[in-house]
Amino acid sequence: MLACRGLRKQFGERVAVDNVSFTVADNECYGLLGPNGAGKTTTIAIVCGLLKADAGEVTIDGEPGGSLGAKAAVGYVPQELALYPDLSARENLHFFGQLYGLGGKRLERRISETLALVGLAERGKDHVGTYSGGMKRRANIAAGLLHEPRLLILDEPTVGVDPQSRNAILETVAGLGIAVLYTTHYMEEAAKLCHRVGIIDDGRLVAEGTPANLIRDHGGSDRVRLTFADVDSDGFAATCLLVPGVSDIRPIDGGLELTTDHGAAALPSVVRQAGQCGVELTGVEVLAPDLEGVFLALTGKELRD
Amino acid sequence: MVISCLIAPLALAAILGFAFGHAEPKGSLTIGVSGASPALVMAAAHATQLPTNVVVRVIPGAKMLKSDVTDGTLAGGVILTGHHRKLTDLLIPIVAPGATHSPGFDVVSRASSLAGDEWAESVAAGLSSRLYAGRLHPGSATQLADIRITTQSLGNASRGVLDYFAPSIAVIFLFIGGGLGMRSLMLERSGGTLVRIAAAPVRPNRIVVGKMVAIFVTGLTSILVVWGATTVVFGADWGAPLGVLLLSIGTSAAMCGLGVFLTSLARNEQEAFGVAMMVGLFLSLLGGNLLPPGSLPQFLQILSLGTPNGWALVGFGRLSLLGESAGSVVGPFLVLCLIAAITVSLAMTRVRRMVEP
Repeated sequence: MLACRGLRKQFGERVAVDNVSFTVADNECYGLLGPNGAGKTTTIAIVCGLLKADAGEVTIDGEPGGSLGAKAAVGYVPQELALYPDLSARENLHFFGQLYGLGGKRLERRISETLALVGLAERGKDHVGTYSGGMKRRANIAAGLLHEPRLLILDEPTVGVDPQSRNAILETVAGLGIAVLYTTHYMEEAAKLCHRVGIIDDGRLVAEGTPANLIRDHGGSDRVRLTFADVDSDGFAATCLLVPGVSDIRPIDGGLELTTDHGAAALPSVVRQAGQCGVELTGVEVLAPDLEGVFLALTGKELRD
Repeated sequence: MVISCLIAPLALAAILGFAFGHAEPKGSLTIGVSGASPALVMAAAHATQLPTNVVVRVIPGAKMLKSDVTDGTLAGGVILTGHHRKLTDLLIPIVAPGATHSPGFDVVSRASSLAGDEWAESVAAGLSSRLYAGRLHPGSATQLADIRITTQSLGNASRGVLDYFAPSIAVIFLFIGGGLGMRSLMLERSGGTLVRIAAAPVRPNRIVVGKMVAIFVTGLTSILVVWGATTVVFGADWGAPLGVLLLSIGTSAAMCGLGVFLTSLARNEQEAFGVAMMVGLFLSLLGGNLLPPGSLPQFLQILSLGTPNGWALVGFGRLSLLGESAGSVVGPFLVLCLIAAITVSLAMTRVRRMVEP
C-alpha cells in the first residue's frame, strides 16, 4: 500500500529525515517509533504530499506520493487538532468530506458512521470547541476516516489524551482493518497496535521489524529488581551471581538489579539466597525486555528524552 | 462570513446613515418655494444654513403652494413673482447692464404656524441674497446654474455628505476585509485546518483561487450591502447603478488583493491584524477617504491616485457628486482592474506558498 524509498529532507543545516525507507502492506499497522524531533512528523508530511522530499520517492497504492490519486487514498490525522472549533463535528465532517468528493446521502451516511465509530454520535451537533481533549482527538480521527481511505496516517493521536479516550482511540484503530501508518513515542502503543515497528532516531530508521523480533534481537535480557532494608549487600550480591542464568548484577537505589535469561525461573533461587544471607526483601520486580529497551540499546537514549 | 457580509456592512450603513442621513427627519418643517428654479432654491437653502429638520421643496405653482400651506402639508411658503423658471432666466436680465428688474417674494404661512412663517422668511431672505449675489457676480451665478437637482427634498446639506461618504468609508472596509481574510487563512494555518485541506485531493491552485474568491465575494457583498442599506433606509444616492456596480467590482478586487498581499507579509495572525488596521488607516488618509472631497492639498490629491481607494473615490465622486453617467467611471474602473491584476497576482503567489508543499 505504501512504499517509501530513500526519503531525505533537510531544513538548513539540520537533516530531519535521512535516507528513510519502509513499506506498509495492505491491512498492516506500521508504527514509526521515536522520540520527539526524531523525524516522524516530517516523514509523514512527505508521505501526505505536504512537504517535498529533497530525495527519495513515495508510492501510495501505485500512485506517486503527493498526486491527487495518492491523496485520495490517504486519511490523514494530524498531530494537532485540525477542525474548526466554531463548527459542530457534523459540520466539520461535512466540509472535509466534500473536499474528498463525498456528497449527498453518502456523505451523511459516512458522517453518522464515523461519528458512531469514534463514539461521538451523541455529540455530533455540538461545537467542537466545547469538546474535551479526548473527544477532539476522536473527532480528528473521524475526519480522517470519513472518505474510507485505504491508508490511514495517524501522527501521535494520543498525545495529551486521558486514558479512557486513549483506549478508545487504540481500539478504534485496531479494529479498522486497513493499512495504518502510526507514529508515537509511546512504546506500549506501538507494541500493542503495530504489526511492525520502525525505530527512528535523528532522522534515520535504525531498526525495523515486528515488536517481538526487535525485542528478541535488541531488547536484551530479563531484569530482576530487588529492594531491601539497609544491610551490607556485597555478600548477597556475590551469592546472586552464583544463581543459574544470572549474568550480571548492578546496584540500584535501595537494592540490586540482576540481569538474567529468564527472570521468572531465576526468582525462586534469588529469594532463597536472600533468606540465607539474612536479607529482608521489601520488593521484587521482574522486568521483561520491551521496545523501550530496544530503543535504549539501539540509540543509547531513553525513548522519552 | 455572516458578520463580514451582512452584520458589519449593515452596522456601517447605519452609522453612516445616522451620521449623515436623516432624509426626512421626524418633526420636520417643509417650506415650499414656487416660481424659482431648483438650482436657485438649493443654493438659497445652503446659504440660509437651515437646521436639518427644515426641508425646502420646490412646488410647481403658486396655487398649489397656497393650497398646501392651507391644508398643513407645508409649514410655510415663498412665491417668487414673475415668470422666471430657471436660475439663468432669473439672473440674466438682472445681471445685464442697466437691468433694474428684481423679482418680488410673497411669504405664505398660516397664522398658527409661527415657526413656518419664520423659516419661510429665512428662505425668502436666502433666495434674495442669492439673487443679489448673482447680480454682483455673474460668473458665480452662471456656475450655480449648472448645479443639478435630483431630489425633491432640498435644504438638507448632509444628504450629499452621505452620498459621498458611504462609498468612501465602505471602500476602506474592503481593504480591512481583505486583510482580515488573509488573517483568517493564517489562523487556519496555525489551527491546523489548512494542513488538512492541503492533504485532501484538491489541486493547490483551486485552494488558492477558492480562498481569493471567497475574500473577494465577501468584500463585494459587504459594499453592495452598504449601498443597498444606505440607499433604501437612509435615502442616499450613490449615482448610476451600473456605474456603482462596476466600481464596486473593481474596487473590491483591487482593495481585497492589496489587503491580502500586504497582510500576507506579516509573520503571524496578530501581526496581520495590526497590518490590516494600520495600512487601512494610512490608505484612507492618503486616498482622501476620511476627508471631504477636494479638500486634500493638490500634491496629496495626485498622490491619492497611487492608491486604489483614491481611484475608487474619483469614480464614486463622479457618480454621486457630479451625477455623471455610468460611462464616466470606465476610466477609474480600468485603473482599478489593473491594480487588481497586480495585487491579486502578488497575493496569490503568497497564498500559494502557504498551501503548496
